[in-house]
Amino acid sequence: MIQPFTPEPIRFVAEDGTPVQPLPERYTPEVLRDLHRLMLQAREFDRKLITLLRQGRTTFYAQSSGMEATQVGLARSIRVGHDWVWPYYRDHTLGLAMGVPMAELISQCLGTNSDSCRGRQMPHHFAAQRQNFVSISSSIASQVPPAAGNAMAQKYLGVDEITVCTFGDGATSEGDWHAGMNMAGAAQAPALFVCENNQWAISTSIREQTASETIHIKAKAYGMPGYYVDGNDIIAVMEVCGYAAEQVRSGQGPALVECLTYRVGSHSNADADAEKHYRTREEVDAWLARDPITRLENLLAHLGHPVTAEERAALIAQTHREVDEQVLAAEATGQPDWRIMFEDVYADLPDHLRQQEAFLRAEQTGGRA
Amino acid sequence: MTATQTRPEAAPMTTGRTINLIQAVTEAIAEEMERDQRVVLFGEDVGARGGVFMATAGLQERFGKNRVFDTPLSEASIVGAAVGMAVRGLRPIAEIQFADYMGPGFDQIISQAAKIRYRSAGQFTAPMVIRTPSGGGVKGGHHHSQSPESYYTHTPGLKVVMPSTPYDAKGLLKAALRGEDPVIYFEPKRLYRAAKGEVPDHDYIVKLGEAAIRREGSDLSLIGYGGVMPDLEKAADALAAEGVSVEVIDLRSLVPWDRDRVLTSVQKTGRAVLVSEAPRISNFMGEVAYVIQEQAFDYLTAPVGQVAGFDTPYPYVQDKVYLPGANRIVAACVQALNY
Ligand SMILES: Cc1ncc(C[n+]2csc(CCOP(=O)(O)OP(=O)(O)O)c2C)c(N)n1
Repeated sequence: MIQPFTPEPIRFVAEDGTPVQPLPERYTPEVLRDLHRLMLQAREFDRKLITLLRQGRTTFYAQSSGMEATQVGLARSIRVGHDWVWPYYRDHTLGLAMGVPMAELISQCLGTNSDSCRGRQMPHHFAAQRQNFVSISSSIASQVPPAAGNAMAQKYLGVDEITVCTFGDGATSEGDWHAGMNMAGAAQAPALFVCENNQWAISTSIREQTASETIHIKAKAYGMPGYYVDGNDIIAVMEVCGYAAEQVRSGQGPALVECLTYRVGSHSNADADAEKHYRTREEVDAWLARDPITRLENLLAHLGHPVTAEERAALIAQTHREVDEQVLAAEATGQPDWRIMFEDVYADLPDHLRQQEAFLRAEQTGGRA
Repeated sequence: MTATQTRPEAAPMTTGRTINLIQAVTEAIAEEMERDQRVVLFGEDVGARGGVFMATAGLQERFGKNRVFDTPLSEASIVGAAVGMAVRGLRPIAEIQFADYMGPGFDQIISQAAKIRYRSAGQFTAPMVIRTPSGGGVKGGHHHSQSPESYYTHTPGLKVVMPSTPYDAKGLLKAALRGEDPVIYFEPKRLYRAAKGEVPDHDYIVKLGEAAIRREGSDLSLIGYGGVMPDLEKAADALAAEGVSVEVIDLRSLVPWDRDRVLTSVQKTGRAVLVSEAPRISNFMGEVAYVIQEQAFDYLTAPVGQVAGFDTPYPYVQDKVYLPGANRIVAACVQALNY
């Protein structure tokens, strides 16, 4: 049994890789290596996408570097393709770990014809039906009430599914967040709320965001357990999220997990100068020392199964190659044309849109309107 | 009258400096904060970060954290708190990071800010300004490119303005801050750095509710506001090259709007084309068209033309196709001219 409302974040592994409590048996070296592979792949994906951004091949990117343990750990705590997920825009690592093909993520970021969302949304706002990974909305916390409703439907339908809803620390200030939490609590719906507390909402620190000591204690107000976990310790994330998910699944009502982590990069390409404006180099360095990937490598070394420099380099090279190939493949499919504007606005094309489409067709093909 | 003649509003006679639109916003805020201790500024990232577009850069350093501060990420809190502060005697400027994100604050805008004077019979009022970047052309997809002004023009009690030049941006913001009503002040984000122009060194305001005639003409009145104005100018240039004399009007304020200037113009030219990048249905320009047909029907030699956004969510990849653009405006003018 894992206790909610602990004063300190729950952790299993210290920064240097020493376990601070016994590791459950399921964490075999193979399992740990698989987690490591996913985290490193996500980190390199970030690096490559930032390069694409610099090359002007995409227009926006919000990296999740530093938050890999939280997102990969969460992905590994739920039943992919069975449970439903209402993510937020920084969750591409969660998507990758849930098996959303890299090609799909890249196509979405490039807005090409291979984008399953057809170039409609800004980069980084994908949707993946096979994984029940519901379309990302930029509007902060707007996914929380629908996630509560998704969970209420699951309860109504009597299915053995849960709903996972993620958000940043900033999102917990929005009215929608409180409305959704309260609704899920009142309905005792099977919803797992996960706060990826990376401690900054663009330039607003968690201290300026709320006078609450932590995010997870807010769960108390909505009648659900609140768990506090070291979000850079992937084993702790998997243990706590896995436990909370099971509680939710077994009909105990919703739960909130706060993963304490850190975004080491900027908020997005729009504020590449974070250190200059609002946070100190020392703070970033202190968190770099708690890096989730290094911590897992330290654990593997501690267990006598170190990741060698060659293995690491090979994995990085392979990811880079894969991204490069997928980018070229995506770009080769071209950009969706003007028609995409009119499709999917409604189930059927109403008359006024039919007219507007005809107007644009005439304009785009050089004919008369 | 030739197509290229200008009136004073088109190029204010100043001895000032040339700045861009976002600098004009910053200057207006700074000067009003200097002038009036009641003016406070807050929103997401407006402090140390200086705003995501840097509209408030340096203001926290200059005026202190009491007067320029970051808020929690909550538009309902930002707008609602502004209402409370205004009722208690401050002059808040609330920044909403993108017009697309006014949604969570919508109830506070329409239920509180817009109504408190009326429902209390003037015992309580909320003079405040909500500033927000709006419009497309920046590859932002639907959550960073929308033009939601019509939601607000539809709400009695709110004033709604949208400048397109640095001169107007500064003058309108100052006037809004010195007024007694809540004002929604939309900033066309694609013109932040693109629109450059002179502002005077002395203090001035641009009264809310007065349109600007950007150029005089006799064949057709081309009317717009905000981010589309440079396209109106381009369209007028193209038509001038064909010998067509276009009068270009920038509404600047939507509520209240300058019926007189618009009607006088249409009575002179007999033709009007209205341009806005917001979706067409319930577009504010529908109101302008209605008033033109009601008040100037006898003068019209062609139906009032309208160029608007499509009734689709704002697309990401087809950003440029979605926006009206000079060619589409010219086509609408030609249609009116050939009617
Ligand atoms: C309703 C709304 N307001 C403002 C924004 C602009 N915005 C985008 S991200 C962001 C900060 C979000 O911080 P947080 O929720 O902590 O998530 P993080 O980006 O740190 O992962 C803001 C203010 C938005 N997207 N939606």
